[in-house]
Amino acid sequence: MHETELHDLSDDADYAASQRQGSVSMQRSDSAKTSSSAEPEGAELVYVKDNVTIHPSQFAAERIGGRLMLIKQGACLLLTWIPYKGQHSKLSEKDRNLYTIRGVSFSDVRSIRRHTPTLGWQYIIVVMSTGLAYPPLYFYSGGVKEFLATIKQHVFIVRSADDANIFLVNDFQNPLQRTLSSLELPRAVVANGLSASTSISDPHPAENQPIDDGSVSGEVASLSLYNGRPRPKVHDPARDLSIQVLEKFSLVTRFARETTSQLLRESLNNGYGANERRDHSPHYHDYSYKPSTDPEKAPVEVPVVPDPLEFDKLSMVWGKPRQSPLGSGEWATFLDSEGRVIDSKALKKRIFYGGVEHRLRREVWALLLGYHAFDSTYAEREYLRSMKKLEYETIKHQWQSISAEQAKRFTKFRERKGLIDKDVVSEVWRDFSSIVAALLVKFDVFLTFYPSSILKVRTDRSLSFYEGDDNPNVNLLRDILLTYSFYNFDLGYCQGMSDLLSPILYVMEDESESFWCFVALMERLGPNFNRDQNGMHSQLFALSKLVELLDLPLHNYFKQNDCLNYFFCFRWLLIQFKREFEYEKVMSLWEVFWTHHLSEHLHLYVCVSILKRYRKKIMGEQMDFDTLLKFINELSGLIDLNTILRDAEALCICAGENGAACIPPGTPPSLPIESSLLYPQQDDVL
Amino acid sequence: MSYAYLFKYIIIGDTGVGKSCLLLQFTDKRFQPVHDLTIGVEFGARMITIDNKPIKLQIWDTAGQESFRSITRSYYRGAAGALLVYDITRRETFNHLASWLEDARQHANANMTIMLIGNKCDLAHRRAVSTEEGEQFAKEHGLIFMEASAKTAQNVEEAFIKTAATIYKKIQDGVFDVSNESYGIKVGYGGIPGPSGGRDGVASQSGGCCG
Repeated sequence: MHETELHDLSDDADYAASQRQGSVSMQRSDSAKTSSSAEPEGAELVYVKDNVTIHPSQFAAERIGGRLMLIKQGACLLLTWIPYKGQHSKLSEKDRNLYTIRGVSFSDVRSIRRHTPTLGWQYIIVVMSTGLAYPPLYFYSGGVKEFLATIKQHVFIVRSADDANIFLVNDFQNPLQRTLSSLELPRAVVANGLSASTSISDPHPAENQPIDDGSVSGEVASLSLYNGRPRPKVHDPARDLSIQVLEKFSLVTRFARETTSQLLRESLNNGYGANERRDHSPHYHDYSYKPSTDPEKAPVEVPVVPDPLEFDKLSMVWGKPRQSPLGSGEWATFLDSEGRVIDSKALKKRIFYGGVEHRLRREVWALLLGYHAFDSTYAEREYLRSMKKLEYETIKHQWQSISAEQAKRFTKFRERKGLIDKDVVSEVWRDFSSIVAALLVKFDVFLTFYPSSILKVRTDRSLSFYEGDDNPNVNLLRDILLTYSFYNFDLGYCQGMSDLLSPILYVMEDESESFWCFVALMERLGPNFNRDQNGMHSQLFALSKLVELLDLPLHNYFKQNDCLNYFFCFRWLLIQFKREFEYEKVMSLWEVFWTHHLSEHLHLYVCVSILKRYRKKIMGEQMDFDTLLKFINELSGLIDLNTILRDAEALCICAGENGAACIPPGTPPSLPIESSLLYPQQDDVL
Repeated sequence: MSYAYLFKYIIIGDTGVGKSCLLLQFTDKRFQPVHDLTIGVEFGARMITIDNKPIKLQIWDTAGQESFRSITRSYYRGAAGALLVYDITRRETFNHLASWLEDARQHANANMTIMLIGNKCDLAHRRAVSTEEGEQFAKEHGLIFMEASAKTAQNVEEAFIKTAATIYKKIQDGVFDVSNESYGIKVGYGGIPGPSGGRDGVASQSGGCCG
């Protein structure tokens, strides 16, 4: 069973079952040659599977059993499915033969979709380049994975980045596909049945990689795996998952090391055929690896002992190329005649890969943020706008109607208002006549009574939209924030909110609309501004877990240098990279975040990708906490957004479910788990 | 640029007291009343000379809002000096000094030099805290004290330099083990004879031995 070892099918339950039952598999190849297949001359039969059935209708009696075969003819791989003769089927022989698949070349196949329902049979759907799809082929004896593994030996086939169950054939155009294809490499080392110890009872724990930090078993397993002592597959799903992810990472690293960008431009004949890839056995990155003397336990291949900085190459994992922003023409295709978004998932995906043209933002942001529903019509949105405008005016009037006398006796209001005024508006009101100023100070009355001509924003004043004295947009910013602090009195106002509001007002150009979009955004990001900072802490925690998963040496470096609080990423997270990129790029980044395509927490993967980009410098220069903080702060304006987004996408895909498991439920921008007590109050503070 | 010592400073105090303005006045000699509010921390640096020795001040300007205190606390580590700032026109910023001081005492090293600054002294007509009160508070808590104005630059230079001089004197008096960077002091090229050289790249520069 050499072939199967290479393809590590041991985690395929169906395949395992088929092995136990001794059902048809590749060993039958020879005998199958003598069968009445449509095998062309000079061809080699490389795969046969019996009991592969087509269901022309929902009636069991009409099912057509048959034999699926892969035939290699020269450089060509052909797919064939022949119905059995003499079946007790309601369908006539002629009807059954309608479904015959005879010698379809894989060069004409676009993709194969795999369906593995928890109940019922696995099946595949073969889609041709022309768009034609064959009926589902049900694998009554299981073994879809084996089928795909065999194909992979002969043609270039990769898992789609969009759907892990879609395998694209001959998709050489997409660098990410190529990269991810390397992740599909056989996992010979793990599959080969090595030492019998489990990771948790590892008798040789690595000295520099303690596993005592309360990590879940999956993470423990991943740590030990990274230590380079491959172990047998233990049937612990959590463990297997993490192994998969980390193996994939080690493969990517290897792949990345051996790959240059030139590779990406090369044609399909550059060695990504079966033989080449078979050589790409997994390598484990390990500082402390000691080869076992027990031949039984010896890994197939001696792991690479890397320079930890080699991990830098991981940044060469590519995401899909960024597209141009969504334009009006294309936008129109997403809408029906009444303005409903027909396929919001497709729209989000499109925006994920390229953002939106600025003039469309006003309409699109309201949808992405959830202020308007995707399935709302133009008319419904217009109606909501008018209703919400009234509601906004009501809330705004609540604070506008507080008189000076009232304010004198309303400390919390004064304090809050003072803070907003100060942040959005001028720090001091220094140019008043001393009498007026002294009077105002005496009564502790704040800015309501100040002429707007002296108001100065502390937010985005370099932007023409907000620059200059007496800029009405500045006052809008203030009014919206103050109104928000009345809408959500428990949360109130916190520094950083104006950074989040500023682009929204810039895009929406309408007070009420901006307010409601801001409200929608704060439904998700509000916990960032909690007094106890719980939203920030859960994100920082998740980030540390993700780095641990995706870059263990960097994690260890941070640990050794007392940097695990990740406070150096604080600004990134609090205001969603608002200060790290120029204004236009921030808007484009935010709309990508707001699609929640791939993950609600893409921003955390963006953090990881930036850290990975600079890991060599960070570790090479032995940065301590202070130096690191300063370094990260000074990256502002220097980060290439598209590169980072592509890295983040690849990291997110590679981390998969293990990545998601690093992020506690309810971590912003996920919606809070419970709606009660969103913003815990402390009485002793403002 | 080479230096004999590098001192880490941290500027703390309520939001809006003028921390960032003090820093900008000191590093760039300009006043910018309108600037983005500080999220997390911002950095500034300037060379000064004390006792004919070049000293680099690396200054950490922190966010003042209460919500960020838990983050700010992590910045105290390894600071040699702190500028604790209040706004003489806003009484509450003075009232909060004790809480800032408590943070500093708890999270900074015990030998950190603290300079109390009553900022915005150009706004004397709106004064809400008298000079005497500031002096009294400083005396009670063992701080150096000055009133200053980031707008007019009055006493800004002096505040930073006096703090540095105090730290420098502590070094001379042997209060610090300068080889231990947790005191917020790094020895650079040209430093006084000590157990270790600097490591900011300065030690490797050519140009002779320590002075």
